[in-house]
Amino acid sequence: MELSWSTFILEIINFLVLVWILQRFLYKPVLEVIARRKAGIEQTLAESARIREDATALKAQYEARLADWDTERRAAREALARELEAQRAGKLVEMQADIAEEREKSRVSEARRQADIEHKLEETALDQAARFAKSLLQQASGPELEARLVEMVITELSQLPEERITALRKSYGTSPESIMVTSAYPLSDDRRQRLAQALQQATGSDAPMQMEQDADLLAGLRITRGPWVIGANLRDELEGFVTLTHDR
Amino acid sequence: MQEGNLNIEPAIQLGPVVITNTVITTWVIMAAVWLLAWLASRSLREDPGSLQAASEGVVSAIEEAVEAVAPEHGRQIMPFVASLWVFLVIANLSGLIPGVHSPTRDLSATAGLAFLVFLSTHWFGIRIQGLRSYLRHYLTPSPILLPFHIISEITRTIALAVRLFGNMMSLEMAALLILLVAGFLAPVPILMLHIVEALVQAYIFGMLALIYVASSIQSQQLRQQKEV
Repeated sequence: MELSWSTFILEIINFLVLVWILQRFLYKPVLEVIARRKAGIEQTLAESARIREDATALKAQYEARLADWDTERRAAREALARELEAQRAGKLVEMQADIAEEREKSRVSEARRQADIEHKLEETALDQAARFAKSLLQQASGPELEARLVEMVITELSQLPEERITALRKSYGTSPESIMVTSAYPLSDDRRQRLAQALQQATGSDAPMQMEQDADLLAGLRITRGPWVIGANLRDELEGFVTLTHDR
Repeated sequence: MQEGNLNIEPAIQLGPVVITNTVITTWVIMAAVWLLAWLASRSLREDPGSLQAASEGVVSAIEEAVEAVAPEHGRQIMPFVASLWVFLVIANLSGLIPGVHSPTRDLSATAGLAFLVFLSTHWFGIRIQGLRSYLRHYLTPSPILLPFHIISEITRTIALAVRLFGNMMSLEMAALLILLVAGFLAPVPILMLHIVEALVQAYIFGMLALIYVASSIQSQQLRQQKEV
């Protein structure tokens, strides 16, 4: 445990040299690189902070834009709702008008259909009535009824007024060669002669009268002079009755 | 390890200057530190390798420790304190190498380091606070305390030197005695204790030096703040 002054001084010098060596080759370069890295990190942090601020600003802008969009969306939705309500009201009015029109059409159609049904029923009833009357008249007809009808025709022709005879003769035009008289039963000579005289008197023509027999007439006469036909028989009367009903 | 090895032997005699094995070991340590520092700092990059990362870790840890004690003047005193720690760790652990004696088991070396701590305390105090302001603290709080301040400065420097020397020499002596008594493998636990003790003593020496230097700076600052 001796104190060597040489060692003491040399150790002091050695240590001072060591401090210089470490400062020159270790502390200074290492601290510089650490400082550079810290500066880089701080720069990165500053850049990150700036980016974050930008992101925050963008976020705020985006949120404001979203709020604007939301407001616009609500306004557009309200406008759309109003427009839809208006259209709905208009459509409702149109629909009610259509319904009323359709209802009226349906009512008219129903009335027409009812009228048609009634008409068909009426026609059916008339047909049935005509068939019934025809059947009844077929059973009730006979020479007596025809005789009365012939007599009624002769009487009618004989008692025609003058102006009617004139109009009748004008309507005949040219005189035909003969007058066809159809009857359901054979006529007696007396009635045939009186009928011919009545026809000559009414038409003013002396065309011969040809006789023909047709049982479908049931009873009575059918006088045919060219296009002019006088139906004085039950069949023509029934058909005229039915035709008149159909044409009504 | 032989009995004669505990003595400080002169290696080279250059007139009045005697170069002992302590000095030679110190030179070897300095060369090794220089080589290591050069290797670590020759290609520093932003993306560090393993050696650079280790050196950055060591330097950062020491800088943080210094900044914790002297936050305002850490950059100025860090090279001195850091060099103390680096040198003492290596010097204390060098005793584990067979045939090599730790320089810190030589009182001349530890006294030199303690004397440097003594000088650096005043150097940093005067450099940072100014001579008059620094010397004034010896008279505070009362001029009567001036002798006690002086005694304190001397004794704590002596304590620094003797503490490190005594611990390191006793470690080597204990290992030698156990080796002589018990055999070749018995000192292994003592060598493990040697590692811990070497690190602890290096830390204590460097930390005390840091506290002495920081107190010489901050005591003036506290006094000036009170005066303001």
